[in-house]
Amino acid sequence: MSTARHHVIIGSGVAGNQAAETLRARDPDSRITMVTVSRLPFFNRYDLPRVFRGERDWRRFVIYPAEYYRRNRIALRRATQVVAVDSINQALTLQHKETIHFDTLLVASGARPYLPEELTEYRPLLLGFGAFHEAVRVADALPKKGHVIMLGGDTIGLDLARTLIELRHRVTLLADNHTFWPHEVSEDDRPRYIEALRNMGFDVVEAKERGCLASISQGAPGLPARRLVFKDGSELHGDLVMPFFGNVPILDFMIGSGVDIERGLLVRPNLRTTNENIYAAGDNCQIWTDSVRHYCFYHGWKNVRAMGELAARNITGADEAWAPIHDESLRLTADGKILSPFWEYQ
Amino acid sequence: MSTDVQIAIVGSAGDGTIAAGDILRRAMAEIGYRVISFDLYPAEIRGFGKCIARLRVTDEQAYSLKQQSDILVSLDDSHAIPHVGEAREWGAVIYETHSVNPLPEGAHLSGHIDPGQVPYNVPIRELAEKSTGSARSRNIVIVGYIIGLMRLPVEPVLRALVGKFKGKGDIAQKNEAALRAGYEEGLRWFRLDDIEFGPPPAQEKGAHVEMISGNAAIVRGALDAGIDNFFGYPITPATSIMERLASEMPRHGARLVQTEDEIAAISATLGAGYAGARAATATSGPGLSLMAEMLGFGVIAEVPSVVFVSQRGGPSTGMPTKHEQSDLNMAVFGGHGDAPRIVIAPTSVEGCYRCAGRAFEMAEAYQTPVIVLLDLYLSNRYETVPFPDRPPFDADTNRYADTRGGAAGFQRYALTVDGVSPRSIPGQAGGMHVATGLEHNELGRPNDQPDMHLAQSRKRHEKLKAALSHPGFEPAKRFGDTGQVEVGLVAWGSSFGECLEAMYLAQEEGIRCAAVKVVMVSPFPVDFVATFLADCKEVLVPEVNYQGQFAGILQMQVPRAVTRMTRIPCAPLRVEEILDEIRRLAGRIVEPQAA
Repeated sequence: MSTARHHVIIGSGVAGNQAAETLRARDPDSRITMVTVSRLPFFNRYDLPRVFRGERDWRRFVIYPAEYYRRNRIALRRATQVVAVDSINQALTLQHKETIHFDTLLVASGARPYLPEELTEYRPLLLGFGAFHEAVRVADALPKKGHVIMLGGDTIGLDLARTLIELRHRVTLLADNHTFWPHEVSEDDRPRYIEALRNMGFDVVEAKERGCLASISQGAPGLPARRLVFKDGSELHGDLVMPFFGNVPILDFMIGSGVDIERGLLVRPNLRTTNENIYAAGDNCQIWTDSVRHYCFYHGWKNVRAMGELAARNITGADEAWAPIHDESLRLTADGKILSPFWEYQ
Repeated sequence: MSTDVQIAIVGSAGDGTIAAGDILRRAMAEIGYRVISFDLYPAEIRGFGKCIARLRVTDEQAYSLKQQSDILVSLDDSHAIPHVGEAREWGAVIYETHSVNPLPEGAHLSGHIDPGQVPYNVPIRELAEKSTGSARSRNIVIVGYIIGLMRLPVEPVLRALVGKFKGKGDIAQKNEAALRAGYEEGLRWFRLDDIEFGPPPAQEKGAHVEMISGNAAIVRGALDAGIDNFFGYPITPATSIMERLASEMPRHGARLVQTEDEIAAISATLGAGYAGARAATATSGPGLSLMAEMLGFGVIAEVPSVVFVSQRGGPSTGMPTKHEQSDLNMAVFGGHGDAPRIVIAPTSVEGCYRCAGRAFEMAEAYQTPVIVLLDLYLSNRYETVPFPDRPPFDADTNRYADTRGGAAGFQRYALTVDGVSPRSIPGQAGGMHVATGLEHNELGRPNDQPDMHLAQSRKRHEKLKAALSHPGFEPAKRFGDTGQVEVGLVAWGSSFGECLEAMYLAQEEGIRCAAVKVVMVSPFPVDFVATFLADCKEVLVPEVNYQGQFAGILQMQVPRAVTRMTRIPCAPLRVEEILDEIRRLAGRIVEPQAA
């Protein structure tokens, strides 16, 4: 019987894949299983705007070819949802009732787009952008020189908007306190950044100037939303309405696992949770940060990748502490445009 | 855009696996695609064993299944898991999202999907239960899902469904609901595979395309050739020939009798043939053994008769539901004495139709038993066949003697130039003669003199040569590169389809390659095959038997070295395996040096 350890990773994004690579290098004889709800192998979601440039073959978006997983003996279980984690018996249960035992577990499940509660009733009408198929759907629905109404405007949304504007689409941003997420922009700086967006070709409407949204409606049954009506009676019309309000950790399956959760999984600086066999990395964990004396989220693909590597190193015997490597500050370029370090992904 | 999509559905007996494949192939044929399909199923009726329905959908008729499927469906993970590798890179793997019972690690199909394959996890059971109140229609949900996912029209599937379950209460209605539920689900999904269905091909003029099995094509050919009588005893895999004829023949004013055994069946067939009727029987290897003596009688008495033989795994009872091509020697040489007969082996379902019809013509024209040699793979597989609007067969190829006013002593076995003697039928005035199993003279009277034995033996052998140029019949045909080739394949029966596929793949790899299908195995088309072999640097003869029976016959007729590729996998040959042999013979695979 094999005595090789079984490392299970939930999630196949930047953190999960980096962790798998590090685990394979540091523990060559181990079993590695990566479980993900995605049907696609790992791709960079910051690449998705390429869909609007006509690239529709998802295989060109994939970071690692299938051969990479075969060669590294990483069992990639796609389209598979974890529904429960039993930290005592070191097992996780999948949606189809299969049980997988682990020696170590890394939770790198990432985050899903957040939709404010007051907008949830409109969810079916709003087009998301988190997955490849959603990007294709948006691109298919958007006419030539179309008009996108963007709600919120987090960095993923703003990145998409840059491409849309470049491709001669019109983007109207309904800016609110989610704009620029996860960057924190002070009230004093905000006007300069909003102005920078206008310099970049955005139509910016400050939500607070219009008041609350009264309704969102579609052009015809079966079509996506295209009209916003505000309580002051004013309206905004476009071809599509897309929400970009930042992300929330995906951790439903961890409820009842016996591991401490606040907004994200609470981990020590070495990325270990309150269970000695369970680690976390990426957008779904809050890391104890001595300098501010509380648990913090860290964003950006470089940070997330570093977390994946660190977790894997610590799983395989190291005991190193997290130190963010990514400058998370939003910048203004000399020509008055915004530049997020999260967009520097190539 | 061309279409070449293979779908494999894997389930357990009782899951409706074969039914799902049947509906899909009928629907694809109705849409206008060409289809080849072959099912594997266990001998047990329900609850045991693996069932696999495979169908290949193309815009030009294919004659073999592909090694890898584009779409693999699991209706039972325990059976499907060993087959996951059958789905190609970027192909689709469709499976049940939920499980009824808790599963240990590795028991769900999702854990076996390769990173290069595209998973489609579908709530199959839930959709079936919601739409019909029961999980029984899971197979129909999957049919609908595939149609929806591939954005194919649903109406032809509905018609296929109604046709299949006509007169079975509310089953058709429930299945329609299940089909629509699966279809809507399929439409909802975003496709990540790279599978493409192009437009179906245009219909051929003067022909209509039908989806039909090999055995059904035999029946169709027999009916179109004007079969009068059939005598048979059931045996797998030939039984469906008799079953179908039993329902069809009365409509054509023809008669069928189920006899007490195979000896009676061949005897009655010869009796009917002697009386001038177009008569046939059908059997498999064990039955052919029982018929051997009477076949010899048919040869010596020169009685037209047709024997359809569908081979299965042998010897003895062997493996009744498994494919094999091991009755060739029995068909060509079986029995005692020098008893030449015509043996033709179709290579496709369309070939079954043509060979069945031509067999009756040949039996009459050359006054001899004709064996049409099928095998389980060919009998049971389905293909779309373009049937001519008018049957192409000659309704009467007899050479009857004009015996009016003739003197006594009709020479039924007269030694003619071509070996065929004018014949008479019972009751024909002036045509009276002795028909016997004893060696005879020209009158039919017993005669054991060496000169007469030699003359009659020569007559019985020589007359068959004319069959090689029988009108409307090609005893052999060449495919692939012309002129000199690196590797030439010679194949017979259903194996030819796999050989042809391998040949095309080899050509794509830059190997000069050609293939010959030999349809008439006896008499052997020596000149044609010898000419072909002269063009080949290497010759490969793949077949599904242990001994290399066909290669033996080939080398007996055309002495030269050939590479025998003999396999007995209880299933059709694998295209990839044949291709490997071609590569090896062409020097494309460097074999490791012995230490």
